[in-house]
Amino acid sequence: MNRIALAALLVLAAGNSTAQPLEFNGAELRAILRHGPWPAAWSPDPSNRVSGNPRAIELGERLFFEPRLSTAGKVLCATCHAPFRGWQDSLSRARGLAEVERNTLSVLNVRYNRWFGWDGAGDTLWAQSMRPILEPREMGGSAAQAAALLRGDAELACLHEKAFGAPPPAADEAALVAVGKALAAFQESLVSGRTPFDDFRDALARGDSSSMKNYPAAAQRGLQIFVGKGNCSTCHFGPSFSNGEFHDTGVPFFIAGGGVDPGRHGGIRKLQSNRFNLLGPHSDDRDGKSATKTRHVSLEHRNFGEFKVPGLRNVALTAPYMHNGSLATLADVVRHYSELSPDRLHADGESLLLRPLRLSAQESGDLVEFLESLTERASALLPKRPAGPCRG
Amino acid sequence: MEERRDSVRRHARTLIAAAAIGGALCGTLIGTARACPLPPGVRVESERLVLSYRTIPSKIVVGEHFVLEFAFCPKKNAKPSDKIRLDAHMPEHRHGMNYRPNVIPVTPLGPGRYRSEGWLFHMPGRWEFVFELGAERLADSIRVE
Repeated sequence: MNRIALAALLVLAAGNSTAQPLEFNGAELRAILRHGPWPAAWSPDPSNRVSGNPRAIELGERLFFEPRLSTAGKVLCATCHAPFRGWQDSLSRARGLAEVERNTLSVLNVRYNRWFGWDGAGDTLWAQSMRPILEPREMGGSAAQAAALLRGDAELACLHEKAFGAPPPAADEAALVAVGKALAAFQESLVSGRTPFDDFRDALARGDSSSMKNYPAAAQRGLQIFVGKGNCSTCHFGPSFSNGEFHDTGVPFFIAGGGVDPGRHGGIRKLQSNRFNLLGPHSDDRDGKSATKTRHVSLEHRNFGEFKVPGLRNVALTAPYMHNGSLATLADVVRHYSELSPDRLHADGESLLLRPLRLSAQESGDLVEFLESLTERASALLPKRPAGPCRG
Repeated sequence: MEERRDSVRRHARTLIAAAAIGGALCGTLIGTARACPLPPGVRVESERLVLSYRTIPSKIVVGEHFVLEFAFCPKKNAKPSDKIRLDAHMPEHRHGMNYRPNVIPVTPLGPGRYRSEGWLFHMPGRWEFVFELGAERLADSIRVE
């Protein structure tokens, strides 16, 4: 680490760069290096026996763009998770068959999540993928409908057989689970590419001063706020820029009609009563290790109004922001944290973590510049895969 | 002469008595150590207990589950409690974990040795392990990067 600090200082002393590298202290350097390398290591989901299976990925891709999973054949997964919109919908609140209370999360990099959805009601991506199919306001489908599609469409049935090693199951519930697992296999393949931040972070790690110069000075200053006085990287932690957990960030959780969104509190309750969770009969994880989180997650009063810490990769493509889509731009998000009212935080510890940052106009601009440097645009395109007929 | 013999006898008796007491004490200490051996790990002590713990893996990674194994021995003939509660929190943030670890007696390793699963530290910084064994409370701090 000292070597890196020294390299940063030497570059600073050289003084001939287009973007003079800032001098980061030891704690800042450690925090910056924790946001990489990218792409981060990943291993297939042990609860999903077709995770990482190319045939399952192909089946999942077809199902992702399949309107016949919805009740009237009108809504597909890609309605809300449109590739060209950063794998979300650019709406404040998602709209399938009707509008719901929450903003659509991007499915890009979803494979790195511990919990799924703003409230973490899903403990696997395959269970989470089944949820909107069954939700009346989203796709309004059913297990019977999904099973009939899988069994009745020759191409889908063929792909199922190649992925799972058997024809689609006779039981509707098992067929729905297979649909969920194939959808998960496809979404796990969606990973964002490298960004200007990643190049800077890696250059910093190896003390490559000439490469560090390519990263704009404003983004560097924003990064310093992010890992320093902003305290952002405490929760937006690691290569995905999320610690995978839930916090109350002072965003109102009132919803239309006078109700409230219980956030994580409701999510844990849903998780615990869901027969498709990791403790249920459909998990393929024989040793049950992946279910540790589900077995031990603790329901606390403070979970009320907590929402997931979203990852920040490609964040510039996923406006609007927050669980209810109430903030239109990244500048609005920065202003929210800059002017945050501690009175709005109901959890005791949150007020120690989240204090109004009182950023100057330049600091706010720098932080936005840094957030934009976490974005690349190539992953908004569908990966190219062979599209020959399964039975051909 | 007789006085000297008496004196030698008195010294001998004193030495024998001292040796007997010392031997008994030593035996007791060795016996206690034998009766309640603590495995290698981080030692934490209170007035009535000494505890040893280790995590598996030894390096705690933020956002990854780990296991905690611990054993404890009562001091000064204190009666060990079977009411065990474990937790961890971040003193600077005033919040704990989002997971509730369990406590399973590690029977093959002998009495007083335990394994606890379900631990996860979701933020970098200083965490404090808290071991509540009956009325005794032992704590140990650790920094996680």
